[in-house]
Amino acid sequence: MTNDVEERLRRIRGGGEGKRHNARTIAALTTNPGCSRRAVLDAAGVDKAKLARHIGFPSQFGQSQFALIRGNQFEAQVKADGCAELITLLRAHLNLTLPEVSYEDLNDVGGNADNRLRHLETRNKLGRRDDPGTLFDHPMLTLNVAGQDVFLEPDLIAFQVKGKFHIVEIKSFAVIDGQADGSKVAAAAIQSAVYVIALRNLLVEKGFSPDDVSHNVILVTPKDFSNQPMVTFVDVRKQLTVLRRQLSRLTRIEDLLKLVPERVSLSLDADPAEVAFDIGSIEPRYMPECLNTCELARFCRHEAQGSTYAMGRTVMEDLGGVDTVATVLDLARGTREPGPHQVEVAALLRLAWSMREESLGAAA
Amino acid sequence: MDLSIEELERHIDELRADMRRAALSGDRALVDELREELREAQANWEEALAQVTARLPRARGRSTTTPAANRPEPTSRGVRGSLLPLREQVHHALTLLTVPAAPRLIVAVHQAFFGAVIPNSRLTSLRRDEERSFRSAPFARPYYLCPALTADRLGPSRGLLSISTWPIAERVVGPLSPRVHFLTAAVKVAEAIERTPDPRPEALRLLARFAANIPGGTDGSGPETVAEAARAELAIHEEADRITREEAAKRAGRLTDVQRLFGVRFEAVSLVEEAG
Repeated sequence: MTNDVEERLRRIRGGGEGKRHNARTIAALTTNPGCSRRAVLDAAGVDKAKLARHIGFPSQFGQSQFALIRGNQFEAQVKADGCAELITLLRAHLNLTLPEVSYEDLNDVGGNADNRLRHLETRNKLGRRDDPGTLFDHPMLTLNVAGQDVFLEPDLIAFQVKGKFHIVEIKSFAVIDGQADGSKVAAAAIQSAVYVIALRNLLVEKGFSPDDVSHNVILVTPKDFSNQPMVTFVDVRKQLTVLRRQLSRLTRIEDLLKLVPERVSLSLDADPAEVAFDIGSIEPRYMPECLNTCELARFCRHEAQGSTYAMGRTVMEDLGGVDTVATVLDLARGTREPGPHQVEVAALLRLAWSMREESLGAAA
Repeated sequence: MDLSIEELERHIDELRADMRRAALSGDRALVDELREELREAQANWEEALAQVTARLPRARGRSTTTPAANRPEPTSRGVRGSLLPLREQVHHALTLLTVPAAPRLIVAVHQAFFGAVIPNSRLTSLRRDEERSFRSAPFARPYYLCPALTADRLGPSRGLLSISTWPIAERVVGPLSPRVHFLTAAVKVAEAIERTPDPRPEALRLLARFAANIPGGTDGSGPETVAEAARAELAIHEEADRITREEAAKRAGRLTDVQRLFGVRFEAVSLVEEAG
C-alpha cells in the first residue's frame, strides 16, 4: 500500500492506531461484499462500535458473556486430558492411527503469550518435515489484510501423517438430530475458511503445497442435548472463493477511496452531526442481514428508511428499478406515471393494490 | 501463616480479581467462598500491620510475622468436606495418579477417592502461592506443588501440576506425554478402584470417562478391562515418550532451583525461525 493511501486511511480513522481485523471481522466482510462503506471503514481500521455510539446509533452487538463461557467450557472439555475426547473422534473420522497422538501446546511459549512469539513458534512446529506433530493447540497464524498482518488463532490444527492438515473448529452450538442452526454453521464455515487461507499461506512459505491443507474443516459440536462432542466435516471451497475475492478487493482500496471525498475524517473528537454527514458521503449498501454482522448497521438502516433496499434482497429484486417506498405506493395507487423501465413493475403493483382494496374494502 | 504484609496485599488483589472472574462466570458459591477468604486475608493484613506498628519504637525488624502457629493457611479455607489443607489434598490426588495432571482431573480424582470437593479455580492461585513461598524461603516445605515442565524449553507447562519431589524426568512433558499421562492415569484410577471395597459412584463415573476414550476400554466391564486397554495403548507410546523426557531431564541439570521447580520463563524475543 502506498504512503498516500495510508495517509488517507489514517485521516479517515481520525489518527491513532487502527483496529485490527480478526477471523470474525474478516468473515463478516463476505456477508455484504458490495458495501463500499464497510470496505473503506474496515481498511482504515475504524472502530465501528465506538463510531456508531458516537453518532447516536449504538450497536446491540457482540458476543454474549454466557455464550463465551459456554464456548470455553465445551472447548476445555473436548481438549481435556491431552485432547482425549478429540483423539477418539479423530481416530474414528480422520483415521488417525494409534501412534498419532502427539500434542503441541501453542498457547504460550515458555509461559510467554506474546502473539509474534507464538506465531514464530507455530511456524517452526508446523513447518517441521522430519518429525511432524499431530495436534497443535491454538496455533497462531497471520493473514495480510489490506496491508496489515492480522493474527488469527484457530482452535486446533490436526495433521495426519501421509495426509493433510485439517483446521478443527470447536463450537458450542448443538447439532440436534443431525441439524444445526444454518446461520451458525455458515458463520463457522466462513471463519474456518479464513484459517484455511492463513494456514495455506504459511505452509506454502515453508515449501508445502496448498493442497496439503484440506478444504474440509472439522467442526466439533455438542451432540443433541448432551455435552458429548461429535464431528461434522464442512466443505469450505465456496467460502474460500468468496474470501479470496473479498481480500483482493480490500487490497484495491485505492479505487474505492477515489469515490470518497478528500476531506472525510471520522474522528471521535469531532461533532457527531458532522461525522454522521461524512459517513453519509461513503456509499453504503444496507441489507437487513447487516444487523447481524456490522456495528454500524443501525445507522445505515436509519439512513435507508423509505428506500426499497432496506426491506431485503427479495423485495428489492421484486421491485427492480424502483428505489423508494413512496414511489412504490404512488405507482400502486396509479397517482404516478411509470417510467419506461417501471411499466412492468407498475402493472404488478396496481394489480396487488386492487386485490388489497377488494379484500379489505372499506377496512383498508 | 507465613505471608509478609506485601504478600498479603498481593494476595488480596488476586482474590479480588478471582472474585470478579467468578462473578462473571456466574459461580455464586465460589464468590461467597472467595469473599470469606478475602475477609480472612484482610484480617491477617490488619494483624500484620498492627504488629509492624507495635514494633516500631523498639526495633525496625522484618515485617514477616509469624503469629499463632495453629492458624491454618489461607488456601485451606473454602474446602468443603475436608480439614486437610488444599495443597495436601492436591498432593494426595497427584500421588495416586503418579503423573502431572490438570486441575480438572485433580479435582475429579480427589472427589472420586477422598470425597472432598476442591474448587477448581483455587488451584490457579495455589500454584502462585507455592512459587512465592519457595522464593521467600527455599525448601522450607517438604514438597512444593509446581508446574510440569515442557520438554523443549523446560518452561512451565500451561495448567499441569506436579510434585517437586518427583524425579525431573517424571515432571517433563513432551509431545506424547499428554496421552501417556492420560493412559497412566486410567491405569492408576482402575487400580485404585480395584483396591477399594466399595468405590464411590464418582469413582466409577471417572473410570467410565477414561474407558470411553481408550480403544477397547468399553469391551468388557470393570476396572480390569480399562487398565488392560490402557496398558495396551501405553505400550505404543511409552518408549518414545521416555526418551524425549529423559533427554530433557539431562538439560535440566543446568537450571537454578527456582527454574527447575517452576520452569524457565521465556522473556527475550530471541526466537529464530528455523529454515523451512
